[in-house]
Amino acid sequence: MTSQQSDSRVRPPFWRDARVLRVVGQVIAVVVVFLLLRWLFANLVDNSRRTGISLDFGFLNRPTQFQIPNHDEFDPRSPVWQMVLVGVKNTLLASVFGVILAAVVGLVVGIARLSKNWLAAKLAAAYVEFFRNIPPLVIIVFFAFAVFLYGPLPNLRESIEIGFPGTDHNVFVLSLEQWGMPSLADAGNLAAFGLFLAFGLVIAVLVWRWRTRVNDQTGAPHHRVLWALGVLAVLLLVGYVVLGEPFRITWPTLGENRRRLVDGFAINAGFISVAGALGLYTASHVAEIVRGSILAISTGQSEAANALALNGFQRYRFVILPQALRIALPPLINQCLNLVKNTSLAAAVGYSEITNLTQASIGNGRPAVPSIVILMGVYLSFSLIISFMLNVVNRRMQLAT
Amino acid sequence: MTAVENRPAPVLSTTPVEWVRERLFPNVASSIVTLLLLPVLIYVGYRAVLFVAVNGRWEVVTRNLTLFMQGTFPRDEQWRIVAQIMCMAFALGVGASTAASAAADRAREAGLPVARQQPLEVVRRFWPLIAFVLVLLYFASTVTPWLVVLGTLALFLLGTAARFLTASFRNVGWLLMALSVIAGFQVVSGTTGRSWVAAAVVVLIALWTSVGLEGLDRLPRLAARVGLSVLAAAIVFGVYTLIPLSGVGWDRWSGLHLTLWVSALAIVLSFPLGLLLALARRSTLPALRMLSTGYIELIRGVPLITLLFMGQYILGFMLPAGSNPSSITRAIAAITLFTAAYVAEIVRGGLQSLPYGQTEAAQALGLPPAKSMRLIILPQALRAVIPAMVGQFISLFKDTSLLYILAINEFLGVRSLVHAQPDFRSVAHAETLVFVAFGYWAFAYAMSRESQRLERRLRVGI
Repeated sequence: MTSQQSDSRVRPPFWRDARVLRVVGQVIAVVVVFLLLRWLFANLVDNSRRTGISLDFGFLNRPTQFQIPNHDEFDPRSPVWQMVLVGVKNTLLASVFGVILAAVVGLVVGIARLSKNWLAAKLAAAYVEFFRNIPPLVIIVFFAFAVFLYGPLPNLRESIEIGFPGTDHNVFVLSLEQWGMPSLADAGNLAAFGLFLAFGLVIAVLVWRWRTRVNDQTGAPHHRVLWALGVLAVLLLVGYVVLGEPFRITWPTLGENRRRLVDGFAINAGFISVAGALGLYTASHVAEIVRGSILAISTGQSEAANALALNGFQRYRFVILPQALRIALPPLINQCLNLVKNTSLAAAVGYSEITNLTQASIGNGRPAVPSIVILMGVYLSFSLIISFMLNVVNRRMQLAT
Repeated sequence: MTAVENRPAPVLSTTPVEWVRERLFPNVASSIVTLLLLPVLIYVGYRAVLFVAVNGRWEVVTRNLTLFMQGTFPRDEQWRIVAQIMCMAFALGVGASTAASAAADRAREAGLPVARQQPLEVVRRFWPLIAFVLVLLYFASTVTPWLVVLGTLALFLLGTAARFLTASFRNVGWLLMALSVIAGFQVVSGTTGRSWVAAAVVVLIALWTSVGLEGLDRLPRLAARVGLSVLAAAIVFGVYTLIPLSGVGWDRWSGLHLTLWVSALAIVLSFPLGLLLALARRSTLPALRMLSTGYIELIRGVPLITLLFMGQYILGFMLPAGSNPSSITRAIAAITLFTAAYVAEIVRGGLQSLPYGQTEAAQALGLPPAKSMRLIILPQALRAVIPAMVGQFISLFKDTSLLYILAINEFLGVRSLVHAQPDFRSVAHAETLVFVAFGYWAFAYAMSRESQRLERRLRVGI
């Protein structure tokens, strides 16, 4: 009798058997989630049939039917998928400029906050505490409304023109709708010059590597920045001469009775609002990351650099920052991702990025469900690409132990 | 051996001139920085003072202060909001005194001196909020805001006076606080809706977890708890059915009032959801783990605005025909679902930071998994992530401004009502935006200061 009771093959009743309970628990969880999703989906299908709103993606091939603001080249009759591409392009554009601004301002402010100079440290701290605690949307709206739309700038007809001294070219044209700045224009074979540029970049990278190798092997000073830039400059100059003026500089001018900017590079108020506001906002987070990662480097490193008689710049450039970068890079990439996602706030100020265009397109009678699925898909793919970068960086930056 | 006589530490005194030389002009580079920054600072400061004191057309705020605070809330129901503020002040007072007596008990147990909260210390801790209230009072054109602030202070002090009660019966203190919070919510939203169910649930949870019945055995304790809960539910039910107050549902709230409530509700709702998601993600059951991971990664990959769009444009489609929650309800749901994913990742970080020895120790004590999680793992894990969690809630608070894009008139959105008035159609946008930004900043900065303080006090954080 007793031997049978202690027999390990006798299992507890099934309602107390962990092995059974685990399976049952998971099955219940899956079934509940499945039923919930099925219920939602059945309602969706039911409601869409009742209201006659389609759920398929066929609308992508139908005409957009509205003009994207500030995109005169866009034809309202072109299909919706082209509108999506315009939106994605604008999202990327704002993200790239925002990230650059955030990186530069954030680095400066982050280092300044650690400065021994009282004024610099306090100003940097004030910057961080100010921008970090305001919703980014408020900053964007402030730019769009208080700086541009109802701000101090004149409208395009009376815009401020800052001329190039000695000529009648405009360097900057400032108005509340658009800003103009000089740009490069195709004067025949810009594409060929682009190829030259790509070629030059490849050569410059090779030269960089070669100088690094020389430095590694012989200890001779590498001067790789000078070498690479020099080679690039020489190649570009050769290309410019060989191709016979492939491009020329165009200056922003007001054309058509001062109703629009011709020539030069025109940026819209919406773009400046979104990229500028998000750049300044994200810079406050970047500054905190920079500060945190510099503080995380032990003071011994700093003292060692002092013992080697490195000056302040060299200490940062060769000792502190390379180590801090390893700590800072993962959160910095996360901030990039946040900035990309925050560009969706442009929906409030009419910068034609993907969220804004999707909202406009739904307002124009396009089916909401597939539109939003596409919108989420776009952001998800951005997130996946950036997390992939993050993983690569994490793998490469790990200290070999 | 003769002891060396105690000497005071040498006094390091710097004259102002020394200070300036040391902190502003220590070397050439630093001097250049100072000389570059000083004019910028002076110019910006001058322009800022000019804007605030001279140029700003602040009558746009003065005349619309009520609109900013409560938006389109019906004017003849305004007393409800005042009553709500009073209830909240009382709850805050009770909560503060209960927390203080709990801290005093802990200190006494540990043999440390009991720190008493100095009034000046409170001012130092919450100066952004106090500054905001002072600005509001400065802009106030009637006497009502002054009365409200004085009443708030009085009720807060009344709440702290409950200390003699909460010192010995701490659970009573927490329960009193929960009840007055619920009463504060109900006095505005009314009791005719289904909201009393929520109230009853909160009371039950408070009662169930807080009433100490340690002297009893397991079964009698359960019976006593069930009995007490039924009694409390009956009382709540009775109160709500006997006094059928008609109220103003939250789909008619707006202004700062709405912003604060949306934040509070989303915080309260997203925390348990995030906790469950984190536990599921750390679970050994693959199905739960995959469901939770999929949810978290999906939500974290998209911006909040797409979820809000989903709430506005799709959710109505996904519910059975006829049921149509208000757009504010849908927005709260979207923010909650969004934040829960981030809370889950934060909690997961806390769980992962605990050494596995804690789990093993709990197992060695014979605790079943649920109990070891509840009594050993979670308290430590959650304590470690309090600062990160507060950070997430600050960003939730800032994210409520997105409701503006959905044309809901929260604190940022009421601007569109203000500027719809003929007097302010195209002027004074900078003034309203600065005021709104200052409001958000005051709350967010106060929260972030508190979180830094907690981080230092608990010696946690990254």
